Amino acid sequence: MRSLIRYRRRGQSPDAGQLRQRLTNEGGLLPARLALVLVLLYLLIPLAATLVFGLSGSHGWGDLSSLGTVFGDPDFWQTLLTSLGLAAGTTVLVILLLTPTVYQVRLRLPRVQPLLDALALLPFAVPPIVLGTGLLQEYNGAATNSPLVALLSLGLVPLLSNIFPLLDLPLLLICAYVIVALPFAYRAIDNSLRAINVRVLTEAAASLGAGWWRTLLQVILPNIWPGILTAALLTFSTVMGELTLASLFNTYTFPIYLNMTGQNDPHRAALLAVLSFLLTLLCVLGMVPATRPRTSRGQTALPGQIEGAGPR
Amino acid sequence: MLSQALDEKVTRGTTGEQPRRRAWQLAGLLAWSILVPFLLFCLLFELLPVVITIQGSLTNGGTGGLSLASYQRLFAQASNLRAFQNSVALSLVTALIGGLLGAVAAYGLASLRQGWLRNLLMSFCSIAANFAGVPLAFAFVATLGVTGFVTVALRSWLHLDLYGLGFSIYQFWGLVLVYVYFQLPLMILVTLPAFTGLRPEWREAAINLGASPAGYWWRVALPVLFPSLVAGTMLLFANAFGAFATAYALAQGNINLVPILIDFLVNGNVTVDFGLGDALAVGMMVLLLVVVALYTTMLRRASRWQGR
Repeated sequence: MRSLIRYRRRGQSPDAGQLRQRLTNEGGLLPARLALVLVLLYLLIPLAATLVFGLSGSHGWGDLSSLGTVFGDPDFWQTLLTSLGLAAGTTVLVILLLTPTVYQVRLRLPRVQPLLDALALLPFAVPPIVLGTGLLQEYNGAATNSPLVALLSLGLVPLLSNIFPLLDLPLLLICAYVIVALPFAYRAIDNSLRAINVRVLTEAAASLGAGWWRTLLQVILPNIWPGILTAALLTFSTVMGELTLASLFNTYTFPIYLNMTGQNDPHRAALLAVLSFLLTLLCVLGMVPATRPRTSRGQTALPGQIEGAGPR
Repeated sequence: MLSQALDEKVTRGTTGEQPRRRAWQLAGLLAWSILVPFLLFCLLFELLPVVITIQGSLTNGGTGGLSLASYQRLFAQASNLRAFQNSVALSLVTALIGGLLGAVAAYGLASLRQGWLRNLLMSFCSIAANFAGVPLAFAFVATLGVTGFVTVALRSWLHLDLYGLGFSIYQFWGLVLVYVYFQLPLMILVTLPAFTGLRPEWREAAINLGASPAGYWWRVALPVLFPSLVAGTMLLFANAFGAFATAYALAQGNINLVPILIDFLVNGNVTVDFGLGDALAVGMMVLLLVVVALYTTMLRRASRWQGR
């Protein structure tokens, strides 16, 4: 661009200055930055207002007694623990299910890629409320004994619907959360596998005598660690805030506690919202080192398929 | 991978292919066996719930036979159709506001030359996009509720009584404000790669050929950006349409949206009506499938400009 301008200037063209001005003027920059500032204000004001509102308490400014009540509530700790357990379980299951599958498809079965893409896209069309309705009927309702369902599931649904209640664990909820987190986790892992040369790494490992699992664990995994971390944190933060499925499955989780306590006291609700925000902040900050190389190149990530996570 | 190397040798040379081909077939089966747990999991917890929901919507609750009774009930009650109308309107309005303002802001963010500032703002956008559900509803009650900070501030400083003017955070336009909060940062994150993918050479070439800045935007940049922008807006629509927790925590079921109605039908304290719930769920899925199909088509078109 510079050389072009210089050329024009040497050529004594009458409109050189005008052209230079037009080349450097990107057009629409000021309104765009104004819109950015507006959006940032819109995102910041509720946060600031919530903090002030929460701190101003029902007995005047700086009254944290409602927070003390919350921390003294055994339900708070119990539900927090339940949610942490659910989130940890879901995260482990997502990573365990996805990593070998996506690696194997990238390496050996590229034909299956469209199927994986479709499976990872389907949860967008099946929101949690619909998924939960279906799951309730599948394992708890009329469909449990339907021969069609037994046939389609290779006989697994009748078996599982007998096992799930026995385990006294919210196992079904974890399985549902895996599906909810699938789009984001899949995209994160797939992007990081796409960024490395899976074939060359695997062949090098094989020529040194490593088997399939050893290659995955000792060669591939360290190379896609940022993607795994992003997937894990997105899954974790989604499960920590998820209300729909927990309420359908009658599991007393942290968001349900949040909803119940917050309804009675708006100041306490505001403080709890700030606490939740800090939790989200921690999860996203954990992702920052992982996402930086991706964002600086800007091209490896397909638009918007990772960042759409979160409980709605 | 070893057997794959062998296989390549087999296709090139032609000695002793019979046992090697068998070994390759075995390896192929083993290759598929790695996928079994994941595919089985998706069948059990992703595909079957959909099948069962469709089946349930077509089954007569009493006799168990095939019937369209649930759909007849869906269309017979005005409140059901009203819920769809509300949900579509809410999703459309928030997707359009979030899509338009978010895209312009994404351009503003992409044009920032300070890398650290851009990274900081992007991280903030990811946090805001993930900050949804119950806490977001509470944050807006604290901000724009009847005694909320901004409501009180406007009343005491500017003598502007929002609730006196008919605004309420618990009704449609209040909900729009809350949804836009997570739509805006999502749109920014989704479309930022498209804006950073706009090459400066394109603009320079257009200007050199005599285009005005407006002409460049209208004839070059917008056609390139268009698929990404539509894809982003579709994602926002799906995002809002399926949202439950935010609206539930805000209005406690006092707003008539499809997810809330389904929850009331299958999770209610009074009566449980899976048939109607299934029919509503199928309606949601059909609408969302169209949106998601449009989303993927547009995304595929957008990738043509982004693959360097």
